[in-house]
Amino acid sequence: MQTDVLIIGGGPAGLSAAIEAASRGLDVTIVDEANQLGGQLNQQTQELRPLPSIYESMRGFELAHKLIEQIKDYNVRQLLNHRVVGFYADGSAGITDEENVFPVNAKKIIVASGAAEKAVAFPKWTMPGIMTIGAAQTLINRDFVMPGREAVIVGSSDFAMETAIQLMDVGIRVKAIIEKQSGTAAKEQEKVSELTRKGIPFYFNSFIKEARGNGQVEQIDVALPDEVITLNVDLVCMDGGRAPILDVFYQLGCSFGFQEELGGWVPQYNNRLQTDREDVFIAGNAAGISTHGPLLLTGMIAGISASEELQAISHAEAHEMREALWKELGLLEYKEVYSGRVKHLENFASPVLKDQFIS
Amino acid sequence: MHIEKHPVLGRQLHKPVTIYFNDQPYQAYAQQSVAAALMANGIKKLGVSRKLVQSRGLFCSRGRCCSCYMTIDGEDHVRSCMTEVEDGMRINSNMDDPEVRREINAD
Repeated sequence: MQTDVLIIGGGPAGLSAAIEAASRGLDVTIVDEANQLGGQLNQQTQELRPLPSIYESMRGFELAHKLIEQIKDYNVRQLLNHRVVGFYADGSAGITDEENVFPVNAKKIIVASGAAEKAVAFPKWTMPGIMTIGAAQTLINRDFVMPGREAVIVGSSDFAMETAIQLMDVGIRVKAIIEKQSGTAAKEQEKVSELTRKGIPFYFNSFIKEARGNGQVEQIDVALPDEVITLNVDLVCMDGGRAPILDVFYQLGCSFGFQEELGGWVPQYNNRLQTDREDVFIAGNAAGISTHGPLLLTGMIAGISASEELQAISHAEAHEMREALWKELGLLEYKEVYSGRVKHLENFASPVLKDQFIS
Repeated sequence: MHIEKHPVLGRQLHKPVTIYFNDQPYQAYAQQSVAAALMANGIKKLGVSRKLVQSRGLFCSRGRCCSCYMTIDGEDHVRSCMTEVEDGMRINSNMDDPEVRREINAD
């Protein structure tokens, strides 16, 4: 199979990159492991804001619908339920439908592989009923299944606070929010106050000491600063933060840099969202953990840059659009994330040591 | 328990299907993942870990953590969070080291 632009990952970043490339007449192929496009947007029922100026504020699944509607106007091949498993010697991507593997030869590749949730380890954390907050959100909003009746949340990021509220909305009793730091990690305080108003206790400087249960979690011991309490729960949602998914970049031989603010190890890229492999671009959470606005903007920048290299758009026009999008990125992104991103770009442009980031 | 009426999305469960877990019938709805459908029926333990034989269930629901392997329609080691239910699907716990798929005609 031949294509101009292969996009790995059909979430918000991959879709917005696809819109940019396909709207300029390029042949675009999106590959995604799931059975529908939209990525994690599909189970996000919260209002997303701020989004880039071309989008009005809307809920996650509404944004997914909107992006999927938009690509329908163009020539975009969708390989759903397909995975990239490696690359052939000639550079073609090896894609599997879970039965056969076939090569897809692309002139440019945009990787929007997204992020993976990290675990919080404690004794017996692998027990059924203990899951990531993202898993709990998927169960209630995509599968329409109650993951439990009585829950605790470990961690207090914005994502955790949002999920706690959504769990309560479907009737799950949230017994506590357990945070190892001395305050909440959430940047949007309004959700924290909403939970406080609803009477949810926040246990700070606390952690789960142990989970117990026969075949599934039934009870946990929580170590508070001055005592250990026992809670009966059948659901523990853990929020260990997220990290970029890097598998494809390893296979492509991209170089990496460590940038705490972006979520740890991140492929290196320039302001065109181009990695050190000139035919490979990066977008979305893979390029640094951020919020929805920046995810869409990085997708747009990557799509424009790939289109520029394939002469579907003039250099001057691409340059101008990129400038505007970076400006908007600077406005929409949390300050520390954006400054991490700028540092990441600088480190790539002028490395301190030769080859210091080669994987 | 299935969420019959979602606070934001309303009624979404339209197409009931029957799945068989360890030969027992359970009700699920089309578009649910196998792991989710079992959880709706109160089944959280999907298998055991290969070395320490500890209970395992759904963890990430994204197909990355590989905690939810099950045997589905005779195929071992399938990620149940990434597989949609189908009417009449036969699902078994992953209680053993899986039969690794291999080429049938390999020499």
